[in-house]
Amino acid sequence: MNEVLLSNQVIVYLLSESTLFFLLLVAFIVSLRVLIKWDFESFTPLQFSLEKQAYLVTTITLFVFAMKFLLILYFIFSIDTLSLLVPGAMCGAGVIEANDYGSFLLILKLIILFFLTLWLYINAYDMHTKNHQWFKEKSWLFSFIFLLIIVELGLDFSYFSNIDTHLPVSCCSALFGQLEGANPLPFGLSIPLLLVLFYLLYALVILALKTNQTLLYIISNILFVYIAYYAVVYFFGTYVYQLPTHKCPFCMLQAEYAYVGYVLWASLFVGTYMGIADAISTLWLKQNHTKSQKNVGYLLSFFVLLCSAYVAVYYFKNGVLL
Amino acid sequence: MSGDMMIQIENLNRTFAHAGNEVKVLQDINLTIQKGECVILKGVSGSGKTTLLSLMAGLDKPSSGKVLIEGEPISKLPDAFASELRAKKIGMIFQHFNLFEHLSVAENVTIPLIPSGMKMKEIHSKVERSLTLANIIHKKEILASRLSGGEKQRTAIGRALVANPDIILCDEPTANLDRDNSLLFIDILKELHSMGKTIVVATHDPLFDNLSFESRVIPMVDGKIV
Amino acid sequence: MTNNAFWHFLTLQLFKERSKHTSVILISVMILFLLSSVLFISSSIRFSLDETLKVQPDFVVSRLQGGSSIATPLAWGDELLDIYGISKVTPRVYGRYYFTAKEKSFLIVGVDFMEEQSHERLQKLIETTDIKTFFGGKQMLVGAGVKTYLEAHFYKSSYNFLTPDGTFEKVKIFNTLPTQSNLLANDMMVMPIDLARKVLGLGSEEVSDITFNVPNPDEWDMMTDKLSALHYDLHVVNKNEVRKSYENLYNYKGGLFLMLFIIVLGTFALILYQRYSMVYSSERRHIGLLRALGWSINDVLKLKLIETLIVVFSSFILGVFLAYVYVFMVGAPILREIFLGGQNLDNVVSFVPVVDFSVLSSIFLIYALPFIAAVLVPVWRVSVTDPKEAML
Repeated sequence: MNEVLLSNQVIVYLLSESTLFFLLLVAFIVSLRVLIKWDFESFTPLQFSLEKQAYLVTTITLFVFAMKFLLILYFIFSIDTLSLLVPGAMCGAGVIEANDYGSFLLILKLIILFFLTLWLYINAYDMHTKNHQWFKEKSWLFSFIFLLIIVELGLDFSYFSNIDTHLPVSCCSALFGQLEGANPLPFGLSIPLLLVLFYLLYALVILALKTNQTLLYIISNILFVYIAYYAVVYFFGTYVYQLPTHKCPFCMLQAEYAYVGYVLWASLFVGTYMGIADAISTLWLKQNHTKSQKNVGYLLSFFVLLCSAYVAVYYFKNGVLL
Repeated sequence: MSGDMMIQIENLNRTFAHAGNEVKVLQDINLTIQKGECVILKGVSGSGKTTLLSLMAGLDKPSSGKVLIEGEPISKLPDAFASELRAKKIGMIFQHFNLFEHLSVAENVTIPLIPSGMKMKEIHSKVERSLTLANIIHKKEILASRLSGGEKQRTAIGRALVANPDIILCDEPTANLDRDNSLLFIDILKELHSMGKTIVVATHDPLFDNLSFESRVIPMVDGKIV
Repeated sequence: MTNNAFWHFLTLQLFKERSKHTSVILISVMILFLLSSVLFISSSIRFSLDETLKVQPDFVVSRLQGGSSIATPLAWGDELLDIYGISKVTPRVYGRYYFTAKEKSFLIVGVDFMEEQSHERLQKLIETTDIKTFFGGKQMLVGAGVKTYLEAHFYKSSYNFLTPDGTFEKVKIFNTLPTQSNLLANDMMVMPIDLARKVLGLGSEEVSDITFNVPNPDEWDMMTDKLSALHYDLHVVNKNEVRKSYENLYNYKGGLFLMLFIIVLGTFALILYQRYSMVYSSERRHIGLLRALGWSINDVLKLKLIETLIVVFSSFILGVFLAYVYVFMVGAPILREIFLGGQNLDNVVSFVPVVDFSVLSSIFLIYALPFIAAVLVPVWRVSVTDPKEAML
């Protein structure tokens, strides 16, 4: 048996994912039945029973959402611990790249969390209407999420069963470094240009947020996340590690950097998810924005501030930049 | 009579499926109750008056037809809205009192206010006011299981009044009371009527036939209004 | 909604249904206790092992014949010194001495007290020992388990070793080894290297193995290849491989346990599902009454779910706390045999308290998630009770 599969954390993780999947399966079956026979205007006992069953789906989805959020943190934390078993890995980056499934799995998880956030917003809107106006939209979205989670579960098991503890993996310096001289940044940008883009996009996002320009906001936020990823890995991260050659999105999740990675990435993603989910539901359902807009602004600003702070502190301490 | 329509019932039908047969408990009920009215639904057991009452309160769903509370179709609202409507506008008094036996009088009366998210101070003052109105405040710390029938009924009244609802619905309120307590109950009803509350009582107690205050008696037989 | 009145009501409801909650909490605590104890023990062992390994030398070179270790020539040590990148070459003399009467054995460790040790702990030990007095006669330092065992066999202050050439060596007990790393020191006897050679039957130019350090971690792989090329019967093991194999062993044991435990969990989940589905008519009437009084389904769900969470959290805290006391204060009698069982002498081990986020979050996830998942459907079913039930 694969040694990785026997490690405590992986067992706990896979068990949790399987349990959640099983619950969601129940919810999916119920949800399908409700969706097919749903007729809000009718007075039959069936319709009343369907309305009650809709509550089951909602409750399960809310529970799964809360747990998925905790589990992705646990997943990342376990990956980090697994780096002890995988030769050559100094942090999670190496473990993720131990086989082809790793990065797919991580990205899929982030996508699922986004759609779950979107579902939350639509559900909140739906519950405030007097005729379950968006019940169908909500249910279709739920079915879509369920399909994604089936894929995720398959990837979970494939990923962990295929981590070879005898094959050395590249550590982050090889994965993210510029060993071959090729420019890893998108669009062939240089670091200064990347930073300009980073701050500009941030300003654009905040502006779009304040002026309620929904479409502009969505586009600029997506771009911002894309650029922010590169900015953190190739610039801000080096200030966290205080080493110009250490480029890695995972190492900052470790204890020696005060786990700042969790705070950094969480503020970026939570802020983005909330913002885009709010924007999409506003556009799609033609509703007014929720009060969460303010929090989005705070979270994204906090993220930018935190990144900049590392640079500023380093500069003030040492008088030079890296 | 005042102009506003408090409760409107249009073409209401309630059918139960029982052992393969269909039992028509209510047939084509049409009824309008004005604000501040007191209506007595009179009939023997099986006449459908309790079912009609529970449909008015939104506790049950009709097979067809509408129940409107101040214009809102309580039978067709999603649960969150229906419950809010029920909590704010309707107070119910049940035949068997239906108190939480392990709770005190004050605790029982507090329950309808809990989901509202009100501050504790506000809850306290409303509870005190209600207990005073129902004339049970001297027993507020006593466990419900230790009360007499009349006291239990008064606690139930207090509970029904605590959110200051516009409508009071009573299901056979005197069925488990002796004559003295029944008369006391009617006195309280009179006071509520003078406060402008809309009252509906489902009963077959003859004491309600000739009330000292203005009221309308609606006889019911076999699920129909006669 | 979660105002004081809500908590007050919730507490009263919990109290009213205390028999149901108590039985659930009891079983939960038992399960949590078992799980936490096992996880605490294994993480504590892992920690102690890590600590021990940290101070071990990086590499060990020995001589193999037919797959078994035999005496290593001291001359190999000189060859090692010539290799660039190697430091602190230390020949070691040690072996098992069998106490034939009871088939127990001790680990004899010979130490060249004049030389610098590659093993940090040994180095510290030497520095704290009064060398002069120690070399005053034939003396040794023993581990706690050895001391107890010898005393039980009336060897209070010294022991007579029967050497392979038939002679007896009487060696006095100088002191007991510090208990910090009792896992490995328990059945150890530390004595001067020549005395150890005598007792174990090694020649003056022979050692058990040779250890050394390689400060640059990137050179480890290369070093293994280089050394293996020196002699056909040269066997080299490095610290990482040892760590990995221990890690795998404990993962294996821990993993097997968890797999079995999942079966227990599954049964528990079924029991929970059953228990929570058994809704007495009185409870149903109460929920119906709440609904009749204006509580929405969401409100009732909130009430029931918070009730469940309280049960989950209180069981968790109680179970983990009891496990902590059991493992780290009482020493986990009975359970420790599974992990440390099969040892030579009774381990006088006290587990080093290691309670970190990883262990706690694992325990919480493996318990709380299935628990809530199991009761979600029954709780929903109760919460959607028709208000009509209040009328009955």
